[in-house]
Amino acid sequence: MKVTPLEAKRRVSTTANQSVFDARYWSNQMIAVAQRRDINGFMHIYDYFAPRLQRYLVGLGVNEALGQELVQEAMLRLWRRADLFDPTRASLSTWLFRIARNLYLDHVRSEPTWLPIQEGVAWMDEQEVCMSESMTESYTDQAKLKQAISELSPVQARLVRMSYFEAKSHSEIAQALGMPLGSVKSHLRRAFCKLQSSMRAMP
Amino acid sequence: MTPRHHLDEATIVGYAAGALPTALAVVAAAHLSICRKCRESLRDAEAIGGLLLAQQQAPAVPSTTAREAILAQLSTAQQDPSRKDYEPVRANDPDALPAPLHRYFGPTFSALRWRMVAPGVHRIRATQITNGNLMLLRIGPGKSVPMHSHQGNELTMVLRGSYVDALGHFSPGDVADLDCDITHQPITSPGLACICVAATDAPLRFDSWAARMVQPLIKL
Repeated sequence: MKVTPLEAKRRVSTTANQSVFDARYWSNQMIAVAQRRDINGFMHIYDYFAPRLQRYLVGLGVNEALGQELVQEAMLRLWRRADLFDPTRASLSTWLFRIARNLYLDHVRSEPTWLPIQEGVAWMDEQEVCMSESMTESYTDQAKLKQAISELSPVQARLVRMSYFEAKSHSEIAQALGMPLGSVKSHLRRAFCKLQSSMRAMP
Repeated sequence: MTPRHHLDEATIVGYAAGALPTALAVVAAAHLSICRKCRESLRDAEAIGGLLLAQQQAPAVPSTTAREAILAQLSTAQQDPSRKDYEPVRANDPDALPAPLHRYFGPTFSALRWRMVAPGVHRIRATQITNGNLMLLRIGPGKSVPMHSHQGNELTMVLRGSYVDALGHFSPGDVADLDCDITHQPITSPGLACICVAATDAPLRFDSWAARMVQPLIKL
């Protein structure tokens, strides 16, 4: 799965805008980082994801300075734990999302119990042999998921964004929108089921 | 243990997004620790988060300062040793609590220090939680918990024994993921006390919630 710089460059130029959403492209970058400690590959990942991680953390209410610290920390974790990356189990963006979310919960919400619990659950997950159904991140899936996200109803899309980008609990969403708690949950449930079935659909 | 009652998908999204109040997240993690189906859903919910992260519009490139800072750290950063092993889940030990509960209640059933709150009803509250309420409840066999509805979310996982209500039969590993729209009247099964871990996300209403659950039992 070696990607030469030339191939990488060609991939970027030929697939233009698509490439950045292409899980395979980023997986290959990551494998180069893991296998060869490829600094260029790492910086390529950094240049794309660091500003997005920063935006994500600031959206959760983290101030700019702490956000920058956490982004550097997240990217260093990626560098140090590159050998644990398994492209058949998760895309690079999912991996980074988990790292950033865990840093947020650990540092900002001050929930010292979250990380050990979360790592325990993740560890158990890794012990399991991948079932074909659960290989949600196989490479073709992201395009379908992207499509499905764009097809959510406006209210579903709003609740999904409030959950992921503002880390608002169901009760907080209900309060903010003046919507019954039960409706918040049922909208989110339906949105998730739609997105999940897009990922699990056969190609 | 293959649960038949699972986490609401909305709860899984909240967990993946880091948006669940801590008390609910602990019960969700306890169920995730024994439920493969929900772990697969969690993986899907995290993949949604990953794609949303990648899709964000963001400024073109990081600052030169930030780039130089990270480059400087790469050369000195050690590679982490491969993932440390977690203590294997003692799935076969009937005395073991689910691992995510250990920090709050200790590792075993036998060491729990119950407090009676009503005849046949015992409780242990987790004290370190500021975001929501988390407690263990032990309700004697064959007891009817009065009809109650919920304010806010309530997430309950059966650890031992079982109960029945309008939603079905709940055995060890099953979770009842309820919100305020639901009114129910659980009855614990005969023979064995029912031990549950329960979380609510409405801190101010905790006492009234507990009182409503327990009060009619006192009158029994």
